[in-house]
Amino acid sequence: MSNRRSPWLTLTAVLVYGFLYLPIVVLIIFAFNSSRQNVTFEGIVNRDPCGPFYWFCRVFQNQDALDASVNTLRIALTSTVIATVIGTMAALALQRHAFRLKLFAETSLYIPIVIPEIVMGIGILVLFNALFKFINTTFDLAPAQRLGLGLGTVIISHVAFSVPFVTLTVRTRLHSFDRAVEEAAADLGANAWTTFRRVTLPLIMPGVVAGAMLAFTLSLDDFIITFFTNGPGSTTLPIYVYGLLRRTVTPEVNALSTMWILVVLIALFASNRVQRRTS
Amino acid sequence: MLQRLRESKSLQGTLLASPAMLWMIALLIVPLLLIVITSFGQRDPDGNVIYTFTFDNYIRLMGFSADCPDGVGTCFNSLYLEILARSVGLALVTTIFTIVLGYPLAYYVARAPAKRRNMLLFLILVPLWTNFVIRVYAWIRILRAFEMLYTPQAVLVGMVYEFIPFMILPMYTSLEKIDPSLYEAAADLGASSLRTFLKVTLPLSLPGVVAGTLLVFVPVMGTFVVSDILGGKQFVLVGNLIQRQFLDARDPTFGAAASIVLMGMTLIVMIIYTRKFGFGEEVVIT
Amino acid sequence: MLKSSRTIWMGVVLLVIASLVLTACGGGAAPATQAPTSTQAPAEKPTDAPQPTEAAMEKPTEAALATEAPPSGAFVSKPSDKVTSSGFVCPEPQHKLDVQSKELNLFVWTQYIPDDAIECFELIYGVQVNRKEYESNEEMYASMTGGSSIYDLVQPTDYIISLMIRQGLLQKLDQSKLPVLQSFDPNYLNLPFDPNNNYTIPYQAGTDAIVYNADTVKDPPKSYADLWKFVDEGQMVSLDDSRAIIGATLLTLGYDVNTTDEKQLAEAKTKLAELAKGIKLYDSSSPKSALIAGDVDLGITWTGEAFLAQQENPAIKYVYPSEGAILWQDNYAMPKDAPHSDAAYAWLNYTMQPDLFFLMLRDFPYTMPSRGALEFARDSDLTIKDADGNTLAAADLYQAYADSPITNTPPEALKQGHRIEDVGDALPLYDQIWTEIKQ
Repeated sequence: MSNRRSPWLTLTAVLVYGFLYLPIVVLIIFAFNSSRQNVTFEGIVNRDPCGPFYWFCRVFQNQDALDASVNTLRIALTSTVIATVIGTMAALALQRHAFRLKLFAETSLYIPIVIPEIVMGIGILVLFNALFKFINTTFDLAPAQRLGLGLGTVIISHVAFSVPFVTLTVRTRLHSFDRAVEEAAADLGANAWTTFRRVTLPLIMPGVVAGAMLAFTLSLDDFIITFFTNGPGSTTLPIYVYGLLRRTVTPEVNALSTMWILVVLIALFASNRVQRRTS
Repeated sequence: MLQRLRESKSLQGTLLASPAMLWMIALLIVPLLLIVITSFGQRDPDGNVIYTFTFDNYIRLMGFSADCPDGVGTCFNSLYLEILARSVGLALVTTIFTIVLGYPLAYYVARAPAKRRNMLLFLILVPLWTNFVIRVYAWIRILRAFEMLYTPQAVLVGMVYEFIPFMILPMYTSLEKIDPSLYEAAADLGASSLRTFLKVTLPLSLPGVVAGTLLVFVPVMGTFVVSDILGGKQFVLVGNLIQRQFLDARDPTFGAAASIVLMGMTLIVMIIYTRKFGFGEEVVIT
Repeated sequence: MLKSSRTIWMGVVLLVIASLVLTACGGGAAPATQAPTSTQAPAEKPTDAPQPTEAAMEKPTEAALATEAPPSGAFVSKPSDKVTSSGFVCPEPQHKLDVQSKELNLFVWTQYIPDDAIECFELIYGVQVNRKEYESNEEMYASMTGGSSIYDLVQPTDYIISLMIRQGLLQKLDQSKLPVLQSFDPNYLNLPFDPNNNYTIPYQAGTDAIVYNADTVKDPPKSYADLWKFVDEGQMVSLDDSRAIIGATLLTLGYDVNTTDEKQLAEAKTKLAELAKGIKLYDSSSPKSALIAGDVDLGITWTGEAFLAQQENPAIKYVYPSEGAILWQDNYAMPKDAPHSDAAYAWLNYTMQPDLFFLMLRDFPYTMPSRGALEFARDSDLTIKDADGNTLAAADLYQAYADSPITNTPPEALKQGHRIEDVGDALPLYDQIWTEIKQ
């Protein structure tokens, strides 16, 4: 059974992958749509400049879309890093240590998973506004310096809803962790930090990475919470695209999404190639 | 001081967990308390909260209201309970589908050669890194071609699609951890593939399935955007209800009560589920 | 295991680099400063007959205006030397205000302001325009009541304005700083939701009415009541708007669209539940898509959507129901603690002056409340480019606007129309009805 994988399994896997990528293929096809309204496919576009790649070229002139993309990426990366670090720490604490506030910590970490996004969004908004009002009036800040909603508040909120997902995923990994390896390291004279760094962490890495990827994914597409916590000038891609719905989701957006996918896939294959060479 | 830190596991635990806890307290506990307080309040004509103490919102949610069409006594209106039931039903079916479809894929990736694993995993997530609206719009076109658009089946397809990676990932992490030598041992002992699966693989991958269930069931309970777009906004779920209360109906007290009930339900399910399937103890493989 | 994490991080780094490269290449289109190539003659306006009556209808508060405004009736468009990235020549401000602020924060509807207008304002005044956008008045209201004071302008629709005023969210406008008010059509000023325009200035208006596809609908509906004939086919699209649709149902029963009478609402609920069986989807974002794609044949939608749908498929028609359509108007208002109010006044005066406001005719098919903008477009020789690079004549834009009963609402339809108002305590009841009929 060990390395012989049944062809049925492979077939099922391929089918599920197909399911996952079906809309992606459709999405890419529509990036070449000649109809601006982009409701039905009306043939491949062929316009100056760039011919069939007309919409791809237009994306680069769309400053709003580009700004939104950069914001989204910045927010996702920053919040993922923070959430992964503190989430992993919390997972270790919850899985291995008994401490006084453990039940409270456990419950509080479940809350962002169960709370409806709009409740969280409005709640955080009210909190930030109260805080800012307090700071602005206490320090009597000039309008230009007043604290307000912006990228920072979005990042902070994204960390808040990402941490539980990281913790949960890492705990799954820790759950079936055989402590014998750590004990062996200790017997060999390693202190706690070294054991962690060179034994534990590498072994839980798949869980940490999975958690980080979850956090990144959640942040990338978040809409409701971002809507309530962002300010003028810190629009993200989901909000920008959702806003286009009122008028038209032109093929430009499909083109933008296609480029995102391409970049990610290229990065993926490239790093895989590099890894193969070094192994 | 550092010595005490090194020796006290309890203190270490507190310190490790504190950044996360502080973040949660600041950004969630405080607003949550506000929501709880609001749920016991009353609505003024403009939609603001009058901070009193009344169970009216909860009573209304359960279906009992003081005003009846014929103006007599209290009557039962199952409207909101139906909505809750619909959300639970959708969450259950979605979870089952994601497990059934996701498990084989998670297994496939977990048993793949180490070099390929990360890439295969990434490939599962990449679709989620496109824009949500565009993805769903692509589904609209696909479903339209199959004449399935704006039906309950369309909603299910959309939900399963959006949440299957959140099921696959945790399942993968626990499947991947299973020592391959276990499989060899089972084979040596004469177990068939099916028996190996049932007695070795499944039990050991259970934590992953549990985690995946939580990551799917709970958000589906509260979500509504996919069901709105693919279902044509015909199906009212708890998420819709809550959103409407805070926005269109300007009735934050009722919305707060609905949120508390939703959160309470899912919290209870989560705690029972994780306790039963033992998140607390560690499995020792002998 | 370490190798796997390295893979990830390399992937992430590459992704970041790629995005930065993308952004750098995409980097803002620098406004072209070459000489304008399109012919542009400053439109000399003959003193129209209507103009003097407009001056007579101005409120007493306009006395301050008379001293600084040019003689009414003569609108002269002066081009500046600034040109936007799409080639549009920015006009000089008619009334240039002194602006100290360096930024302007707008909290506005998605997709509602021409890009050229934003660019021109930034070029002329040197003020950076930041936008946060919303999809519904309710989202805007929830954000505002959250308590932030960072926005300088919002765009509320009529029905929510009285509520916002009551909640103290808006500040009174200093009309002496708004000479642009003179160019508006009085029919859109001094409306019941904001008498004397103390708090708001009109932006665009429109209607909610019946839309149908003439190719597939053989017996076109002429009233809201007619829609009930189409229940069995189940091919209708409806707005996801409890007030508008319950309101339409109330109208078919002969009741007021803003009633709070529970018996009347109960009747409306029963009737609407019938119609709901025939509604295929509820859509307040983009109902035109379903119409264009053929998912639905008829339904209720609003001005902009109907116009765009008709552009794609000329068989799609818009009909004002005999009971009277729902009228609405979007307006600019200033939040109470606006940090850059000087820039806000400059924005209002500049972007709504006729030779800039007329761009709405090109970009957003709604009803234009500015008489000045319409007249400018009608009498102008100007040609501009649209989003795809085609050249359009301003006069043609005006003609298309005037010819279409969708944008140029016929006076009878306006007279028969009804406006939605806030219903206070009864709002949860409307919402409950809405939830129930969807079951």
